[in-house]
Amino acid sequence: MSLAAASRAPRRISVGAFLAHPVLLPIIAVAAALLLGLLLIVALGTPVAEAIEAFIRGAFGNSYSVAVSLNRAVVLALVGLGFIIANRANLTNVGGEGQIAVGGIAATALALNSVVAGLPLGLAFIVPIIGAVMAGAAWGGIAGVLKARVGTNEVISTLLLSFIAVWLVYWSVQSVNLLRRPMTSTATLPESLRIPAETRLPYVSDNPAFPLTIGIIIVSVLAVIVAVVLARSVYGFRLRAVGLNAVAAARAGIRDGRIAISALAVAGGFGGLAGAMMLLGEQHVLKNGFSSGYGFDGLVVGLLARGSVVGVIAGALLFGFLRSAGITMEMLAGIPSALVDIVQGVIVLSIAGAAFLLDRRGTSR
Amino acid sequence: MTWELFAVFIGSSIRFAIPLLFASVGELVSERGGVLNMSLEGMMLTAAFVAAATSQAFGDPMMGLLCGVIAAMLVALLQAFLSNTLRANQIVTGIGINILAIGGTTLALREIFGARASVEVSGFGKWSPPLLGDIPIFGGPVFTQVWLAYLAIALVAGVWFVLRYTAIGVVIAAVGEDPQAARKAGISVVAVRYGVVLFAGFTCGLGGAFLSIGDLQTFTENMINGAGYIAIAAVIFGNWKLGRTVAACFVFGTATALQYQLPAMGVNVPNALLIMSPYLLALIAVAGLAGRQRAPTALTVPYWGR
Repeated sequence: MSLAAASRAPRRISVGAFLAHPVLLPIIAVAAALLLGLLLIVALGTPVAEAIEAFIRGAFGNSYSVAVSLNRAVVLALVGLGFIIANRANLTNVGGEGQIAVGGIAATALALNSVVAGLPLGLAFIVPIIGAVMAGAAWGGIAGVLKARVGTNEVISTLLLSFIAVWLVYWSVQSVNLLRRPMTSTATLPESLRIPAETRLPYVSDNPAFPLTIGIIIVSVLAVIVAVVLARSVYGFRLRAVGLNAVAAARAGIRDGRIAISALAVAGGFGGLAGAMMLLGEQHVLKNGFSSGYGFDGLVVGLLARGSVVGVIAGALLFGFLRSAGITMEMLAGIPSALVDIVQGVIVLSIAGAAFLLDRRGTSR
Repeated sequence: MTWELFAVFIGSSIRFAIPLLFASVGELVSERGGVLNMSLEGMMLTAAFVAAATSQAFGDPMMGLLCGVIAAMLVALLQAFLSNTLRANQIVTGIGINILAIGGTTLALREIFGARASVEVSGFGKWSPPLLGDIPIFGGPVFTQVWLAYLAIALVAGVWFVLRYTAIGVVIAAVGEDPQAARKAGISVVAVRYGVVLFAGFTCGLGGAFLSIGDLQTFTENMINGAGYIAIAAVIFGNWKLGRTVAACFVFGTATALQYQLPAMGVNVPNALLIMSPYLLALIAVAGLAGRQRAPTALTVPYWGR
């Protein structure tokens, strides 16, 4: 009775409560950040119409730019999905960048293997993908094992592992004994050989002006699976139990150490898969710094999604198109793409900062 | 290697260690108080740029230093507001600030100095203390440094004294270990945490200015290039203790100097291994392979009281 009365009591309507709407808040933050970007463009003295035209052309101008933006969004969505899985168990995986990197190394190494490249039935690209997933899972799993065995904070371990992996890419392409292409002259670039055509990710359509890879299908299927697993499965329940109260979960017979290892390994596997999508889908050559920024963008996507799969997709699309548009803006209107960094930074800070409007009611007294 | 070359090598190891020392001493204090600043990188980059630009504008490196430190502290204020008042995720906001700092400084560099990735600016001259500078062979290469390097040493001594012997050290530790108890003892957790983050901003300001208007006298796009993250690794490798953190900075500085020294000596060590060594060592430390490791209990945990 008292509960029902409480729920019927008129709620205080304030601007804060209005802004704290979980869907409205990110939209407001994004709009405000874009407005700030626009003001900066005006301050820089570029004609606004020209800038906006370049921006829109970069994002949606033709089928090619749409496909590029979507491919980018696929990578961000994969990292973001991995992030929310681990985050359900209250684990923060900040190592997406490194998991992409080891995934890329594994995918390249396998794709350049002549046996793998000769496999029939699409196995030529499936095997490198599986290798990349396993490499990423192992990389994330290390952080899980450290968490379970030593109690190492996974934020710290995944971050350190991330830097190590990024420099492993550098190592791989610097050394001829690893993945560097044979040195024919001193001018040979420090990068791998181009992977053979059979190992590349197929495109959705035959139209060369629309190079969208099947990554979009893979990520769509995975998004549905993740949503179902998190909401409906026993594993999803265990993740949540550990995340909400690890001690109570342990009392109920859930081994939180195992959950930590598996959750971080799954998150890492998603990162590795993202690395495979980048390498086999678009880049085809392993280069130093190939993962630059993708991991952190993906982390931000996962964080801003607040645990929702739909949120991950929305965030991935936003940042995917934003980055592509920024690059075009620099080429066409001469506006430094650093502007996109500023806009993205403001979006991250305003959404992360305003999250307390959402969390306040739940967690504080 | 001759003694002369060895002296030059020691000197360059120190020069690589100093910015790390500044940043990690501030970060150590902040993490002891429970706030992790992923934004060290952004604070240093902002300071490096603002110090370079204002030093050039005023023709006075001292003004550059002042403005650079103030700029870094403003970035720290933003971090403190997000971490302590809004209780936002410290890692994410730190990364957000770093993205913002790279975008902001790159854009401002283009606007002020034109389309160049790097500008030379006027800065501090080098100086060597009497007596030490007169030591044969080592006097020049090792002890002739920008005076800020000596300030870093003094800063370490000061922080050591305050943390070890004053009530401030106890208060910071209390806030980082058990904020609820600290609150009951009448300490304002939020105020202390603002203080420690601003202190990290102060030291990062000195570290960033040391790079742009001290050691190199140039500003380059994204010139901090990971030093902020290495400083965090130094604190972790240092097990949140001052002595070990300082030692870590010198080890990491030496590893950086070796990247240039070893190829010159014809030693074939993969460059990548040296570059990743700070992170690898820090990982080994947190994995418990280098003795028991213990972070402050409330590190990265927002405090929801007053």
